[in-house]
Amino acid sequence: MMTRRFLLAALVGSFLGLAFTPIAAAEADPKVFVSQLAGTAMETMTAKGISDAERNQRFRTQFTTDVDLPEIGKFVLGRHWRAATPEQQQDFLKAFEEIVVLTWATRFKDYGGDLRHVVTNAATDGGGIVVESKVERDRQTPINLQWKLKKGEADLRVVDLVVEGASMAITYRNEYAAVIQANGGKIDGLLGAMRTKIAEMQSAGKGATKAN
Amino acid sequence: MNASRRTIARLVAPVLALALVAGCATPPPADDKEAVAEWEQVNDPLEPMNRAVFDFNRAADKYAIKPAAEGYRAVMPKFGRERVHNILTNLNSPLTFANDVLQGETDRAVQTFFRAMLNTTFGLGGFIDVATPAGIPPHEEDFGQTLAVWGVGEGPFLMLPIFGPSNPRDTVGLVAEMFADPFDLAMANMGKEYISYTRMGLTGLDKREGLLDTLDEIERTSLDYYASLRSLYRQHRSSEIKNGRGGGEKIPAPGLSRTSKGEELSQSAQ
Repeated sequence: MMTRRFLLAALVGSFLGLAFTPIAAAEADPKVFVSQLAGTAMETMTAKGISDAERNQRFRTQFTTDVDLPEIGKFVLGRHWRAATPEQQQDFLKAFEEIVVLTWATRFKDYGGDLRHVVTNAATDGGGIVVESKVERDRQTPINLQWKLKKGEADLRVVDLVVEGASMAITYRNEYAAVIQANGGKIDGLLGAMRTKIAEMQSAGKGATKAN
Repeated sequence: MNASRRTIARLVAPVLALALVAGCATPPPADDKEAVAEWEQVNDPLEPMNRAVFDFNRAADKYAIKPAAEGYRAVMPKFGRERVHNILTNLNSPLTFANDVLQGETDRAVQTFFRAMLNTTFGLGGFIDVATPAGIPPHEEDFGQTLAVWGVGEGPFLMLPIFGPSNPRDTVGLVAEMFADPFDLAMANMGKEYISYTRMGLTGLDKREGLLDTLDEIERTSLDYYASLRSLYRQHRSSEIKNGRGGGEKIPAPGLSRTSKGEELSQSAQ
């Protein structure tokens, strides 16, 4: 069973570049899901012959399908989510998606270089699934990752990524709480800071492409 | 538990004295339960002082430490940096070994011991890491982690000048190791302290060079660099103490919390 699953993962992994339509049977296996997600993301960010606009659009579509950003966003805002008006909630989720996509596009671009992503283990944990993986680097200790997945109505979705013991969702939550506090408890202060950040990251992204 | 609390209280006293100068953060009103839970979980009552130290660190980093690390990266080829890193890791192995033993981690102690043996002899004084290809990967341990394994609480978050994010427990660990390092003691006995200072400088360069991309990335993507680093440091540290085994307390994840808000807030903080 173990080896068959491993072979399947290896097989799907080797055809990642060709697999444009997700295979329904493969989606059910959390290990395959994670290695496919990371593989496709790296592939998209390093593929040659497509424009940057198209590359970013592809990455965004894939990322928002596989990662449950509204769920993470609600957790990140925590107690402030309930205090926010529906408009603020929508504005927040929009800005949050923008920041997360801009952040991870660059990271997957870097991972797609000389790093190898290997899925090592999957286990159920309470209501969810935890998939463990490693990013192997040349002559350096590997980076340990944990992907927290939730089974939705149709398929799996990522709800958190833990890098060397540090959860991305908790880090965002702590950070954004600090920003809200610094703005006298106002969510609008956070939204303003997020918009500034997005503009900064977008212009930095453009600058980098021009320089290349 | 009580004894460790008292130790921490004693350690914290001088820091609190310092904090009085810079001022403490104001805790939220006691009737706002969620705000209080958040305050306790963030565990940073000295935030104004810590942020002041952080500003100092950023200035020192911008004008001295980071340029030095970038210079080191530019001047020294990757091969050379790896050799330096290996030698420094090897020099650290007596302390790593001692901490493995003090934590009762027999397997890891044996690993550290054989790594040092192999790398010091066949690896020419640590110049080449022959143990990793032989199947004995390196790991890090420090006295702060040993204290944590012994049940000493972390105390409030603390931003140290130059050294960065810490807490009273890890600060004690850091200072203790400075005085207990066998290699440095031997050099002092021979009147060759300059070797220890060279080592200290190289360790700093090696650490900062290794973090160049990571820290730039965190700064690029965060709204509040200080708050991000504080959260990342505390989570990473608590995983290091458990040697990455997790276990015990669960890190809550979005959409996975069975009980609502209350449990969500009591994350990995000890």
